[in-house]
Amino acid sequence: MKDSDASTNVNETQSARNFLIRSAKKSPQLILGIALTGFVVTITVVSFFWTPWDPININVEKRLLSPSFSHWFGTDRLGRDLLSQIMVGGQNTLYVTLVSTLIGVVFGTSLGLAAAGSGPRWGVIFTRISDIGIALPSILIALVLATTLGPGRLSVIVAISFWFVPVTARVVVGPARQILSLDFVEAAMTHGRSRMYILFRQVLPNIAPIVIVQTSMMLAAGILIEASLSFLGVGAQPPTTSWGKILMDSQSLVQEAPYYTLLPGSFVVITVLGFNLLGDGLAVLLDPQQSQKGVA
Amino acid sequence: MIRIFFRSFILMIASAFAGSVVIFVLLRMVGGDIATIMLGTKATPESLAILREAFGLNRSWVEQYLSWIGGVFRGDLGEAYTGQYVIGTEIAQRLEPTLILTFGSLFIAIPSALIIGVYSAMNFKRWRGASVDAVAQVGLAIPQFFLALVFVLVFAVHLGWLPATGYVSVFIDPLVALRSMVLPIATLSLGITAVFTRFVRTSMIEQMNEDYMRTAKAKGHTVRSAAIVHGLRNSAIPLTTTGVLQIGALIAGSVVVENVFGIPGIGRLLLTSVMTREAITVQSLALVILLIILSMNLLMDVLYGLLDPRIRHKEGRK
Repeated sequence: MKDSDASTNVNETQSARNFLIRSAKKSPQLILGIALTGFVVTITVVSFFWTPWDPININVEKRLLSPSFSHWFGTDRLGRDLLSQIMVGGQNTLYVTLVSTLIGVVFGTSLGLAAAGSGPRWGVIFTRISDIGIALPSILIALVLATTLGPGRLSVIVAISFWFVPVTARVVVGPARQILSLDFVEAAMTHGRSRMYILFRQVLPNIAPIVIVQTSMMLAAGILIEASLSFLGVGAQPPTTSWGKILMDSQSLVQEAPYYTLLPGSFVVITVLGFNLLGDGLAVLLDPQQSQKGVA
Repeated sequence: MIRIFFRSFILMIASAFAGSVVIFVLLRMVGGDIATIMLGTKATPESLAILREAFGLNRSWVEQYLSWIGGVFRGDLGEAYTGQYVIGTEIAQRLEPTLILTFGSLFIAIPSALIIGVYSAMNFKRWRGASVDAVAQVGLAIPQFFLALVFVLVFAVHLGWLPATGYVSVFIDPLVALRSMVLPIATLSLGITAVFTRFVRTSMIEQMNEDYMRTAKAKGHTVRSAAIVHGLRNSAIPLTTTGVLQIGALIAGSVVVENVFGIPGIGRLLLTSVMTREAITVQSLALVILLIILSMNLLMDVLYGLLDPRIRHKEGRK
């Protein structure tokens, strides 16, 4: 008896120590995802303090220079350093995505919990309404909003959140209902716990893995949407730059300067891939059975 | 089966109404006065009054909404303000390229996803299966507009095989039309193929462990034929249920793709109208796009019923 106790203790400390190694073995995607997103977030944060060149310094003589030692990524159509532009462009892309995802997660999760906690009739109404929200793609909402609000950051954030809220709610509601039907919830009810207490203190922690994975997937989707909208000219407006905006400018020059399109585009791909892998990796790590079921 | 169709159809109509209210309110809630938006802030009060009169913007929201929806039913959407065109006719003309683009992409994406997904599920423990998943993962991460530019760079600029822009109606010259649609359809279908492939792969891996697969093998099916005869149908079911999200993405993608390749479809008209602040046109265009999405969803619902006899019979008995 004592022996087995001791061995579990050793196992626990070892497992705590080797947690990283074990999770890396279990889901290599996670490590790759952390590396990619870490890289992009780092250079974006660095861009607040330092960029290789002044990102807004226009020098028409140095227009469309191919990548070289002084300009690693070459220069853009106005002679600005492309690497510096990309670093600064990440600020807007990440900011918009983070804010919309945060809104989506907070409101979507609360709505989903509320729907799970209310009666079946409300549940049907909730499903129908969220279906409509999900069917309306963000890009469409953003375009409608941009007509009245004008193109820009605000339209994009509202549009992405407008889609993220029902999507999250929809992902949350099913598992939340499952947890609500478990015995310990009933026990809490007989103890006279309030509905709010049960939903937020008992159900929420149990569905946290799903919410976390969903968050990561939405970060990926948000970056794609923001980039597409900026590319269409509805997103970031000058002087703010964004990856999609850089690609919009490069579009007509794709023949003369392929690097001008390929480099910023690769940054979008790396970031989206990173967040998707992070989500997949977390899904495997947090709940092997739930893997690959995220939306977006 | 007919019951499912009617049920889905009625739901679709209800969703379309709800969606039309959302679009109507979104356009009025945030921006304030539509007349000012369309004419700009420097407009004179007289011209604003004329515009309001012409578009009925001085009436109450309810009246405006009812006259808009009434117009939709009569096929009369009014005239665009700056473009000087009849909105209904313009939309009808631009439906063809958009429908060819979106349905063409679905037509490519669904079979490819089934084939690739089943293949990778059958090899899921080997590197072949894993590499399919890795490729799909990258395919998911490429924004459509970037993929479009890369395709233009490779196939139009370097190889010169296909045109980079331009659109010819199939009714005028089918061959040229086909050539001009290859790159747009390839662009739009790649992302959705990647998503579908992953769904098919996941559900196929689940199906491979089911009892009926063992029975099929015991009956003398090879793994491959069991997978194709029995597994495929079952693993196509999640495609129809998750398809709802993907169809929205497909339509959104068509807006992007039409603009990169210069295809005169709904998406291109939408962006031009947004940029010129044609609120009235945007309102009807958004509704048309919503209707396309909803009818594709309806199609998915029907397919779902066809694929899954359990649903068909359960609903039938009700």
